[in-house]
Amino acid sequence: MSETVHRWMEQYPELGSGPISTEPYISPEWYEREKEKIFRKVWLCVGRENELPRAGDYKVKRIAAADTSVILVRGKDGKVRAFHNACAHRGNTVISETGEETFGRSKAAIMTCRFHGWVYDAEGALKQVPSEQRFYDCFQKEKNGLTPVHLDTWEGFLFINVAEKPETGLLDYLGDYATHFAGFPFHELDYGFTYYTYLDCNWKVAHDAFAEAYHVDTIHAGSFPNVFSTGLQNVKLMGPHRSCAVCLTLNAKPTPVAGIANRLAGASLVSVRAESMLPPTINPDKREDFAFELSVLFPNTLLHISEGIWFTHQFWPIAHNKTLWEGRYYVKAPESHSQRWAIEHAMTLQRNAWLEDTATMEDTQRAMQSRAKLEQHLQDDEILIRHGAVVVDRFVNA
Amino acid sequence: MTGISLPNDFADLTPFLGWALPTADQRYNRRRTASREELRAFYDAMLPRIEAILTLVDGYPLGALPEELRPLYWLALSLAEVAPHIELYGGAPGVPYAFEETRFVAVHGNQDTALGLPPAAAAA
Repeated sequence: MSETVHRWMEQYPELGSGPISTEPYISPEWYEREKEKIFRKVWLCVGRENELPRAGDYKVKRIAAADTSVILVRGKDGKVRAFHNACAHRGNTVISETGEETFGRSKAAIMTCRFHGWVYDAEGALKQVPSEQRFYDCFQKEKNGLTPVHLDTWEGFLFINVAEKPETGLLDYLGDYATHFAGFPFHELDYGFTYYTYLDCNWKVAHDAFAEAYHVDTIHAGSFPNVFSTGLQNVKLMGPHRSCAVCLTLNAKPTPVAGIANRLAGASLVSVRAESMLPPTINPDKREDFAFELSVLFPNTLLHISEGIWFTHQFWPIAHNKTLWEGRYYVKAPESHSQRWAIEHAMTLQRNAWLEDTATMEDTQRAMQSRAKLEQHLQDDEILIRHGAVVVDRFVNA
Repeated sequence: MTGISLPNDFADLTPFLGWALPTADQRYNRRRTASREELRAFYDAMLPRIEAILTLVDGYPLGALPEELRPLYWLALSLAEVAPHIELYGGAPGVPYAFEETRFVAVHGNQDTALGLPPAAAAA
């Protein structure tokens, strides 16, 4: 390899090379500032448009880091809109939530508060108030619709921004990140599996553990024993966002069941396309050892793309030391039972790798909270973590 | 589920009908709580038959598998769950050096996989 051992620092000297403080990972006060300066200010990816295929389909998503729950609902006009899940009457949630994500459908595309029966339509207008005449003159239905939340879409992803007035539109916020991934067939690979759990760690501990490939040879020695990291390539920092190619070498033949599954899934997912489905910006040098593009869409979404598959990790802060993790894995919908079986095998292996990934996170948090070490040391290939720390600091101290 | 059985050609797999489980949650729990010997015996019995099973079930469109073939397909899906433990984890029933498995929630975990439905959470 001709690259120098410090090539990313040489490419991005403005990030520095010093140790990184652990304080932002363990301080409740710092977390309060992150809520105010990041999660209540920037665009957050909250789902896919095709999760709500029909008029009246809705999803309520809790966003603890912005102290709210957001209703995403498709109207009769086909448009998805977002509203705070709060009734104009006495503040109850309009849609009763059953967890972090609550799915539902109203054929008439209306939402009725369970408390006193106030009815809203999918455009947010308050349509009906039982015993309306008993309210006083100062109450006007037309001024008491649901409180809207800014919503925009990119490549089928739904984004919200809870700021009263977002500082930028979504496309400006995404900047070069949007063009970097433009053209990848997210919509064709729409067969999605979701896993989630609560992790007793800071959201950045979770982010950092996934945002490097240095751990592959150790942490994934179980699920990917024949896979060795050959390092990052094509690191690209784009405003608050970041991306790189993760390169891996495969040293051995697949195991028996994996071999059968790869053959079946291969037929359905990759080989039917004569050419790569990756945009020209991804793996531009056509490296043989390219495994997948690993990117961070600031603040809390990791998006990975590869041939025939993409997956995301999202880290939703609940407290300074508690995080909701959501892992999503997408492939093309299977056309046969054998393809569905092969996908089950691939998903199982990916789930197991995620179990390996998440294994260190709570330990890291506990060790950091001991304050035995006040700094962490990052090597050159951990540049995405360094960039993350610098960006968070910039936002929090803005 | 009572009275499930396998097609005659696969009657040799009858001792493993305890692995014929419709949902991903049931299959992972069965694997997690199995003994090393059970995992090995199931894997060894299934590996030589998996391609024949997949050929048979592919005779029907996805989502239209006759009820009498579903237990056989569920066995195949259990092999997908078990295989990494034999092939990669030295026969261990749990994923080694991993996060507590029971804390991971699969949103699709209680679907009957044989129905071929999209695994995403859907509106009621």
